[in-house]
Amino acid sequence: MLISKVKRYLGQATCVAFVTIALTACGESEPQTGGAPPDMRRLTVEQYRNVVHDVFGEHIEIASRFEPLIRTDGLFAVGASNALITPSGFEKFYNVARSVAGQVVDEDNRAVLVPCAPVDMARADDACSRQFFAEVGRYLYRRPLSESEMETAVSAANEVADQFDDFYAGIEFGLTGLLVTPSFLFIIDETEADSSSSSGLRLTGYAKAARLSFLLWNSAPDDMLLKAAAAGDLHTDKGVERQVERMIQSHLLARGVRAFFEDFLDLEKFETLEKDTIIYPAYTINAANSAKEQLLRTIVDHTVNQDAPYPEIFTTRSTFIDAQLGRIYRVPVTRPDGGWEAYEFPEDDVRAGILTQMGFLSLFSHPGRSSATLRGKAVRELLLCQKVPDPPGDVDFSLFNDPDAPSRTARERLTAHSTVPSCAGCHKLTDPIGLGFEQFDGIGQFRVAEQGAMIDVSGNLDGNEFGDAKSLAQAMHDSPSVPACLTNQLYSYAAGRAPERDEREFVRYLESEFAESGYSLKVLLRDIATSDAFYAVTQPKNKTEDVRAASLNSKTKQERGS
Amino acid sequence: METRQNQMIKQFLPALAAAAILTTVVTGVAAEDAPPNRTLGFVVKDWMPAVYESKFIDECPAGLNISNDEIWWRGLTKEERSEKTLDGLITTLDRWFVAKNRGPNGEDVCINPEVIDDDPPLLTVEGATSFGVNLDGNVDGSATLKSCKHENFTSPAGVPGIDNQLYRLIGCIYGFRDQGVIEINANEMRRTSGLAMILIEITDVDDARNDEDVTVTFYRSVDQFPLDSSGQVLPFSSYRIDYKDDGPRYGDSIKGSIVDGVLQAGSGDVRLPYYGNYNYLHPVIRDMQIRLEITEDGTNAQGSVAGYYDLEQYLYHTGGLGPVITTGNFSCPAFFEAAKRMADGYPDPETGECTHISSAFEVNAFAAFIVHPDQTSEMETAER
Repeated sequence: MLISKVKRYLGQATCVAFVTIALTACGESEPQTGGAPPDMRRLTVEQYRNVVHDVFGEHIEIASRFEPLIRTDGLFAVGASNALITPSGFEKFYNVARSVAGQVVDEDNRAVLVPCAPVDMARADDACSRQFFAEVGRYLYRRPLSESEMETAVSAANEVADQFDDFYAGIEFGLTGLLVTPSFLFIIDETEADSSSSSGLRLTGYAKAARLSFLLWNSAPDDMLLKAAAAGDLHTDKGVERQVERMIQSHLLARGVRAFFEDFLDLEKFETLEKDTIIYPAYTINAANSAKEQLLRTIVDHTVNQDAPYPEIFTTRSTFIDAQLGRIYRVPVTRPDGGWEAYEFPEDDVRAGILTQMGFLSLFSHPGRSSATLRGKAVRELLLCQKVPDPPGDVDFSLFNDPDAPSRTARERLTAHSTVPSCAGCHKLTDPIGLGFEQFDGIGQFRVAEQGAMIDVSGNLDGNEFGDAKSLAQAMHDSPSVPACLTNQLYSYAAGRAPERDEREFVRYLESEFAESGYSLKVLLRDIATSDAFYAVTQPKNKTEDVRAASLNSKTKQERGS
Repeated sequence: METRQNQMIKQFLPALAAAAILTTVVTGVAAEDAPPNRTLGFVVKDWMPAVYESKFIDECPAGLNISNDEIWWRGLTKEERSEKTLDGLITTLDRWFVAKNRGPNGEDVCINPEVIDDDPPLLTVEGATSFGVNLDGNVDGSATLKSCKHENFTSPAGVPGIDNQLYRLIGCIYGFRDQGVIEINANEMRRTSGLAMILIEITDVDDARNDEDVTVTFYRSVDQFPLDSSGQVLPFSSYRIDYKDDGPRYGDSIKGSIVDGVLQAGSGDVRLPYYGNYNYLHPVIRDMQIRLEITEDGTNAQGSVAGYYDLEQYLYHTGGLGPVITTGNFSCPAFFEAAKRMADGYPDPETGECTHISSAFEVNAFAAFIVHPDQTSEMETAER
């Protein structure tokens, strides 16, 4: 989608003078890609919550946990493409669906959430049911209900209403049904014939809308996006650009960016994070929640509100703190009774950037001590997209854990441990990075010594020597692997899969555009969301993989001519 | 400019036996490099009367006082005991409000202690040793312009002339001694209610371990202690001071110094909040002195406070103790009479009776950020 690139480049002073010479002077065009076969992705818990809240309101409580997704290629978003729903997993969805439907029709909410009133509350009302399911179903399925889907929902609702002499019991039953169908629980790449495409296929307008919406807002499309899809606007560059621009300007972009970084940084680990409170009395569940929130607030403010260069998240002194974090960082807060406030670490402070925040430091530590290895591994795998091999099954920790050993610091213990040849290879990858954070204990509190010995925090990041955590952060800021990793993972997150072989050139193109923009995350999101690659689909590999056939609604789609 | 890291290294180094190699770092940082006008903050967790207790209670040769309930019980016939306790069903703690209404006309003898004059006299401390300081400047206990004649103590370290008549008054009452319910209860109420949180702010600090001229100011916090999972106070929390109109509700200051991490300040008159056993006070402690030993890492400060405590305020508290009057074990009328007799500070110009009582308290405080409405960014703690 060259037009958007041209517009952007026109806004850059450096290129204005040359725009008449050639577009290629300002940027290359998008490499062609074949895309991947259509797929279906299970909603994440957060997406489920967002959709329900967007449709029915934030007062609807969703008090359950769903079956976990499997993190694949470094992202749950990719794992969502391989998700199954087991019988017990379905029970959880069903229970939540019943709860949500019950809340929607309860006496406090029905007047607002059901768009019509029945003629007689003790009987079925076909017209009112139809109106409700038409309005709600369009948001839940991210497309209008087919005629047969509508008939199924309405007839079920009517039957229950008559049986229980309660119109709203029928609505509750029908809504429960919608909330447990694959069309709601899975984001399905529905396709249609397209003679202009090399594959002969393209995503339907509604499927494109869903891709866009879940990428940028982490929720289902809103009314305007659905209308654009219905009008066919999303099959034109201009139409897509108009919607993308609107969505990027929306406050909901922050929610989408939060969702990506929560996945990218594996922040779901906070759900199971435990610390020894005898060793770390300042660690509480509230402190852990604050630590996660601080990471996300810092990142969202930096990349979305400030639109500042992505690598600077590793060096920025600006962040947000609350009373919990004030104790950890030993700085005052103005609202000890709660609430967040902007905070800037002084220039001479030991902290700068997200890697020196409690969130990263506590997440990648052991319950009772820091871990140079876990921290180094996290930097390698999450932020540089480099795989660190798993430890061998017979790893011997005796040297590391020997309480009588003369070693007092983590560096000394790891040095002894790394004399074991089978361990040395991987520890060489992780420890020189992780040791740079050793002045922060297992929950991120600053310290200068461990067991009476001064801590040496010098290290090496791929040949770049550093002297402390701040210079390590600077090395991260300067590393070309950092934006490259983000680009690859953001595209994987958007597509729900790792880039195909023929998409590597496209990812490099995104990297180049990202660099050209000064590493603006908004620009990168815009480039992805307006690219042809993002929507490209190939023919399914074989008949059995045809998601249209896999969908329980294949028959109804044919009826709609999709 | 010195980095925060170097500041911490400077503080940590004295604790490192093997840090000789880094001596140049310490000595290399000139004193003038240290940031001036730093502020150290503490929040008081424990504030208890300093009661000297010997192994065999030698300071109370006649033993400890009996309770209000026991005195009441002794004065009842068997029939009255049955009648007032539902034939013995109402036990000691539950009949406290009946037991204290034993005035001639059913008056509450704790609120009206002068309606009875035949209770057994209060047993008071007869020992010679006490914690505290010499408040009046003499060692023989004779009257001065600001004190009434009294008997002095010698400190456990052998310092004569110690003035602590509060100890003499309460030292033989179980409820005020170690693990006694009166002070334990009051201290716990302060922790859980947050109603009388005392903040100690040390300003004009150029060197957190040694500074010959600092100012110590006392505030009330409107925020409660954040606690860890075992119920202990978390240091380095932030506390906002209690403001009224355009200024702090409390905020009296005294001058002092820090020598090798020990703060000594005073004397001066300081009004403080007090809450315990359902009573809220705001007494002035006159000629107050404070001594706090600050730990190397600045996390904790422990020590003592001494001064002349406002007797009227103190008796207001002891007169309204509520249920702990029973388990605290003393007679309000006898206590009131003894307190008046033992008051030794600030004689009333007209009556000559002293209005204050010499006292000493043990204090345990934790590092805190004291948040002023307009200067939060300047707050620092002992560590910084």
